[in-house]
Amino acid sequence: MIACLLIPGFELRAALRTRPRLALVPAALAPDVGEEQLLGPVTSTAEAAGVKPGMRLGESLATCPDLVLVERDPGAVEREWEEVLRRLEDAGFAVDPVEHGVVVFETRGVERLYGGVQPALERALAAAGSAWDPRIGAAGRRFTALAAASVARPGQILIVAEKEEKSFLEPLPLSLLPLTNERYAELEGLGVRRIGELAQLPGGAVAERLGVDGRQAWRLVRGGRKAKVRGRKPAAELAEALVFPDAIGNELTLRRALGSLLERLLARPERAGRPFRKLALVARLVDGGSWRRAVTLRDATAELPRLRLALGPKLQELPAPILELRLEATELAEHRGQQLALVEPAGEEAAGRLREGLRQVRASTGSGSVCSIVEVAPWSRIPETRALVVPRDV
Amino acid sequence: MPGPRARQAFAPTGVGRLNAPRPALVEAGFDGAPRLVNRQLVALVREEWRVVDRWWTEEPVDRRYFEVVLESGQNVCVYRDREEGCWFTQNA
Repeated sequence: MIACLLIPGFELRAALRTRPRLALVPAALAPDVGEEQLLGPVTSTAEAAGVKPGMRLGESLATCPDLVLVERDPGAVEREWEEVLRRLEDAGFAVDPVEHGVVVFETRGVERLYGGVQPALERALAAAGSAWDPRIGAAGRRFTALAAASVARPGQILIVAEKEEKSFLEPLPLSLLPLTNERYAELEGLGVRRIGELAQLPGGAVAERLGVDGRQAWRLVRGGRKAKVRGRKPAAELAEALVFPDAIGNELTLRRALGSLLERLLARPERAGRPFRKLALVARLVDGGSWRRAVTLRDATAELPRLRLALGPKLQELPAPILELRLEATELAEHRGQQLALVEPAGEEAAGRLREGLRQVRASTGSGSVCSIVEVAPWSRIPETRALVVPRDV
Repeated sequence: MPGPRARQAFAPTGVGRLNAPRPALVEAGFDGAPRLVNRQLVALVREEWRVVDRWWTEEPVDRRYFEVVLESGQNVCVYRDREEGCWFTQNA
C-alpha cells in the first residue's frame, strides 16, 4: 500500500518553531522577495478572521489589520523537513519526499515488522512528531493516497481500500488535480466541480476541450496508473558552519568565510575522497530570517579553486548582513576520481563530458529527468508505439 | 491542501510514449477533411490515409490521417480518431 504523510503549512510551522507565540495570533507567511504579493500558509486564527492562503497581501491586511507577516525561513524549513524525513527513515520507511510537508512511502516492506498497515502508519505518525499535526492517507495509488491525506484530520490515518477508491474520490473537489487555474475556471464554467463529475465525462471529449493536462487529470480521477514509490537516497550528513559575533555584510569577509568552510568540509574524513556533486549555502540573517541557495556542480569536484568559483557568486545574492554561514554537502559523487589515459580513444572525452552533464541535470532536477529513447516497434503503423521514453540511470 | 508542485508530482510518471498524439481543434468539411486546424485555415490537403489496426484487441485503432499545409505555410499532420470521435495532431 502507498501512504502519503501530509503536514499542511509546513513552511509556516517551521518558521514559527522559534516563535511559538505567533501560532496563537493571526499570522501568515510573507510573500517571497521579488515574487507575486500572495500570502503563504496562514494560522488557524488568521483563517477564522477571513484570511486565506494565496490571498493578495493588500486584501488580507484590509480583511485583518492585526495580521502578522512571518518572514520566510528557508534554512529552518530545510533543516526541520530533513529531520522529519530522517526520523521516518530511522523507523524503516523508504521515503520519497515530494515537497516540504508532503512525503510518500510504501508500507509493504515494514508491515510485517510492525504487525500490519495500521500499526506501521501509527509508527510513521509518531516518527513525524505530533507537534507538526501530521495526517496520513493510504491507498493502492499515489493520487488516492494524497487525496486521503488531504481530507484527513490532524493525527488521523485514513486508509482507502482498493474497491472503495472510486466512491471515495467522487465527492472530492477538483483542486486536488494537477491543473492550472484557467483549467479550473473552465471546468467550473462547465458545471464540473467534483472529481466524480469529471470522471463521468468521455475521455476523448475531455482531451479535446482541455488538452494534455485535462486528459492527464481525467486519467488520474479514473484511478491513474499504479506506480511504485522509489525511496530517496539519504542526503549526506556533511556540514560546516561559522558563527559571527557581529553581523557581516562585507563581501571580502564573506568570501574568506566561505574559503574557510570549504577547507574544513574538504578535510572531513567522512567524505572518503569523494568529490562534491551538490552543495548548499545557508545563512542566518541579522533580522531573524534565513537564506539558502543550492548549487549543482557541472563536474563533481573536490578542488578548492573550482568550488570557490562555483559558490562565490552566490554570496552576492544575500539580501541582508548575516550572523551565521553554513555550508552543506547535499550530495557526493560515487566515484573517487577519474582515471586518465595516456592516449584517449576517439570520442571518449566527448562521451565523458556528456555523461557528466547528464549527471548534473539529474542531480539538480531529480530522478526521472534524464531519459533515453528506446525503439520498440519501429515498423509499427501506429506512430506512438514505435518508441518509448525511458528514465535513464547515468 | 498540498501545493501545486505536490499535485504535479502525483501525476503519472515513468515510461512515456514518444510522439504521443496531442488533442487538436479541427473543423472538418462535409467530406470529413479538415478546413481549420487550431484556428488556422487549411490551404491544401497533401495526403490522406487510414490506419486500422488492433481490431482484435480491446483497444482497436481506427484513424483517418490528413497531411495538410496551413495558410501560414506550416505542414501539419492531423487525424480523426473514429473510436473516440475527436481530432489529434501527430508527426506521422
